[in-house]
Amino acid sequence: MAPAVLVTVVLFGGALLGAVKQSVEPSLGGGPSTWNLDSWRTLLASPGFLDALRFSAQLALIASVLAASLAVAVAVALRSHGRLVRSAFSLPVPVPHLLVAVVAFMWLSPGGLAQRALGRLPLRLVHDPLGLGVILVYVYKETPFLVLLLLAVMGSTLREREEAAAVFGASPFRVLIWVVWPVIRRPLLIGTMIVAAFVFGAFEVPLVLGPNYPLTLASYALQAQQKSPLRGQGVAAASLLVAAGMSILIAAAVMRLARTADA
Amino acid sequence: MREPRRIATAAAVVLFAAPLTVLVIQAFAEVWRYPALLPQQFGLRGFRVAFAEGDAAAAVSNSLEVALLSTGLAVLIAWPAARSLAATRGRWHGAVLLLLALPLLVPPFATGTGLTEWFIRLGLAGTRAGLVLAHLTVVLPYVLLVLTSAFSPRVVELEEMARSLGTPPLRRLVFVTVPSVRAVLTAAFLLGFLVSWSQYGTSLVVGAGLPMLPLTLLPFIGSDPTVAAALSLMFLVPAILALVLASRATRETL
Repeated sequence: MAPAVLVTVVLFGGALLGAVKQSVEPSLGGGPSTWNLDSWRTLLASPGFLDALRFSAQLALIASVLAASLAVAVAVALRSHGRLVRSAFSLPVPVPHLLVAVVAFMWLSPGGLAQRALGRLPLRLVHDPLGLGVILVYVYKETPFLVLLLLAVMGSTLREREEAAAVFGASPFRVLIWVVWPVIRRPLLIGTMIVAAFVFGAFEVPLVLGPNYPLTLASYALQAQQKSPLRGQGVAAASLLVAAGMSILIAAAVMRLARTADA
Repeated sequence: MREPRRIATAAAVVLFAAPLTVLVIQAFAEVWRYPALLPQQFGLRGFRVAFAEGDAAAAVSNSLEVALLSTGLAVLIAWPAARSLAATRGRWHGAVLLLLALPLLVPPFATGTGLTEWFIRLGLAGTRAGLVLAHLTVVLPYVLLVLTSAFSPRVVELEEMARSLGTPPLRRLVFVTVPSVRAVLTAAFLLGFLVSWSQYGTSLVVGAGLPMLPLTLLPFIGSDPTVAAALSLMFLVPAILALVLASRATRETL
């Protein structure tokens, strides 16, 4: 136990502390400097940051809800199938996000393969202001991950209980609400929360497919760093701390929800 | 038996193979003018430029080295923690698990940026050792969560049996424990490797310009899709390898 806790506390705790330090003392070793809240003030006054916060939240919400709903439908459809069919549907899991984004770009960008095949694109999915391309990549990547989580709990015990409920005259809808839902709710909530937190920190996928404005919080931070290497550091660290805090908040809220729902 | 096979093949083609074909075509496309569906001329320019301008060789070897080292370290560190998390459910069980899982939830770019603050002072920024440490922070929770499921009561019983037969600790580890958790251990290693291999944000800040495969790949996406596709194919190899190994592992347990 001890080594893992030690490594996490030192490296991860150190990282958070480092980000806090950067956000209040953005000197990067350039001589003595005083603590101040300038970076935070700049950040909170920046319309680009507020839009990035809203945009990240919007992406996280839409992508995680879409992936979760799709995952439930796919899991219900797949549960009666064997390992072969299931593993075919889990193929996208090990493919890196950036790679999926590259493939999406090559298919969907103007002049890409989809446009060559169809003649014209019905919908703009690359660099579109709503981040639809980004959402598409995350739904493609995260749905199979959630399906795996759901299928793990949808085993034969659940099937027996469903059959018992049906024998006692419960309608399929009632079986779904009273027998299936209580079993899948917890893994679904926790899995969806991980997806939401993950999308909230989205970085390389929006760099490839996202709009130039609004940015996600992580790409906003990158832009701040690149715009002014010295003053931007503090603003970047502050905006990344907001992203980290939001991710942890999402997690805490859903854990609480899962616990109260169980009681 | 024929019906599921057909569904599985259709799903694999639609979800996986068909989207990826564009990479293969694009990577070998020398001339591909709009609106032709196939390139007018095939060739190896993408790979040539990737190795000449994109630093592909250094990027692949750095990515490989960092992924192997950080995952290896993560397995060694996660092993005892996974054992004790699986064996005991004390008062702190939930809190410890949450602490260890926290890096999963925080954007890796944030973790990397925070670490850079110290790594610059320690001379670790822009070095492979720094990258290994940064990746370890992100990889450890994934490896740990998978590994926790390895140490079932059955494994503990087998170990105790071996002990009562007088097997010394090292032989026990090599001949009893590792073989009985092999499938989960492989899964944990694969997952850890892929997480490190795919890291973008951490490598960008901590690496400070050190070539890593995803960092090398991104700028080419808009400017030269042929080079981007060539680099993407190299980026895809471990994922394919993981799939092959995973499918072999499931076949064994069948």
